[in-house]
Amino acid sequence: MLRPEINELLTQTGPKTPMGELFRQYWMPACLAEELPEDGCPPIRLKLLSERLVAFRDSYGNYGLIDEFCAHRGVSLWFGRNEEGGLRCPYHGWKYDTTGQCLDVPSEADNSSFAENVKLTSYPLVKIGDLLWTYMGDPATQPPLPEWEFALVPPEQTYTSKRWQQSNWLQAFEGGIDSSHVTFLHSGGLKTDPLFKGAKGNEYNLNDTKPFFEVADSEGGLFVGARRNAEDGKYYWRITPWVMPNFTMVPPRGDHPIHGHFWVPIDDENCWTYSFDYHPVRPLSAVERQAMIDGHGVHSENIPGTYRPVANMDNDYLMDREAQKSGAYYSGIKGIAIQDSSLQESMGPIVDRTKERLVPADSGIIKARQKLRKAALALRDQGITPPGVDPAHHHVRSAAVVLPQAEAFLDAARDDVRVKPGMPVASV
Amino acid sequence: MTADTSLSSCARAATAAEARFRIDAPVESRNARVVALDEPAAEVLRSVAAHEWAGARFFVCEPGPAGAGAGGEFLLRSIDGTPAVLSSELDGAHVVVMVATQDSGAGCAYAIGKACWERAVMTAGLVLGDGSQTAAVAALRPHARVLLPTADESDLLELLTALRV
Repeated sequence: MLRPEINELLTQTGPKTPMGELFRQYWMPACLAEELPEDGCPPIRLKLLSERLVAFRDSYGNYGLIDEFCAHRGVSLWFGRNEEGGLRCPYHGWKYDTTGQCLDVPSEADNSSFAENVKLTSYPLVKIGDLLWTYMGDPATQPPLPEWEFALVPPEQTYTSKRWQQSNWLQAFEGGIDSSHVTFLHSGGLKTDPLFKGAKGNEYNLNDTKPFFEVADSEGGLFVGARRNAEDGKYYWRITPWVMPNFTMVPPRGDHPIHGHFWVPIDDENCWTYSFDYHPVRPLSAVERQAMIDGHGVHSENIPGTYRPVANMDNDYLMDREAQKSGAYYSGIKGIAIQDSSLQESMGPIVDRTKERLVPADSGIIKARQKLRKAALALRDQGITPPGVDPAHHHVRSAAVVLPQAEAFLDAARDDVRVKPGMPVASV
Repeated sequence: MTADTSLSSCARAATAAEARFRIDAPVESRNARVVALDEPAAEVLRSVAAHEWAGARFFVCEPGPAGAGAGGEFLLRSIDGTPAVLSSELDGAHVVVMVATQDSGAGCAYAIGKACWERAVMTAGLVLGDGSQTAAVAALRPHARVLLPTADESDLLELLTALRV
């Protein structure tokens, strides 16, 4: 249960809001690199943190993320002509470079300096891995570039997709640290999904529906450990890292690629869910990559040419009551990603948390909300840089391990939840 | 003829406008017993107990012989010093939250955890400190379905608030 004012604080990410300012401390995924595939390609519209923007890659290969609207008459620059080092508004020909600087106002005299005084708001846009990243905060406090392992491994070892989710970011993100739903909602997928099935850990997951939880602070956020019974009096631990504010990883299964998410607010009622898979020590196989493209694992099958899932709220997520009845899909919805999004979207655009009845198993969510609130207020009131900004906080992995009962999961698995370049993940 | 289901479709139902029609029934509070396993934890409880709670009662469990009463009953004392019997306090309890700051509470954790297990009462544990209380964490681990080692004393307040006790 959250008081209404706390719910509003955590869910509103527009400019000048406490959580919006918090998000603006971090490098965030702005779009997939594939959306701007070549120099001089068409620009794309983006809305991030309730700001309308246009992203483009100029004819020289520079990336830009600028105010969507021309400074002259407010035309959307999505209609812009991407030509010779800038984006030209097709209405009266005003032209902007990737920093938002106006380069040309054709109606002015040839030697006019008018254009020099026109600059659109702009944010840096940097390619790292499969993503273009932006930082929307004060340039004076721009942190070093992000160092997430999934974005730094060689291209053949990683794959990232995205999908539009029609809900506030927080209810989407909270699913990412809620390990107890896996046994129910995703039970079908544990047996059949090509990117999940076959792991020994799945048996522990399915055989023990009442896991114990341990929630521990980390430098960047939390580690949430879910403990289930294994053989010989040992425990099977699934360890989920959360790095503030919106990065989570799913504990691995067998030798499958390891996956996770970024949950990026579009506005207060929509978010982008970025889903990645990577393997630290080997290329993804052709079969694995194709499975990801086809929407298996944490990915979604999207309507061609868009990032909207084929199964969405307009078609009732292609609900299959027979599959629900048989258990093939526990909720009747196909695919792990859409199983999550369908239920999270059903809560409404911004779930009313004054009505919820949390249980102790939700302690990870309770703790995460507390840390977000405290960090947002500490930033607003004292200017304290929040956890997760420092790239050193990005060097985390999820893990799945079997440990003796007496061992504390973080003590025993501390090395396993740190990035070790070129070394395999700890997985069962 | 296909039935028109648009009035109940997910797209319509998930709008903010429709969210306004969610039934606004009161949510009942739950009964929690919050037990300090050592004296510093009791200090934290005294602070938290000063807040307004609908269904939370606060106790201290002292390790050793003090925990065992006549007739095999396991004894607690309430935060104001009044003696209490564990088995009686568990009647009607939905959740027991154990709070430790030291490694000395293993006996209490075992007794409380066992009693909760027998009565199907949910358990949670907070270990407050700098992370060095490894024995306290180990002692609570088998008996707390949820365990939070934390340096932040406000976690207890947050947990109890979130659980509506």
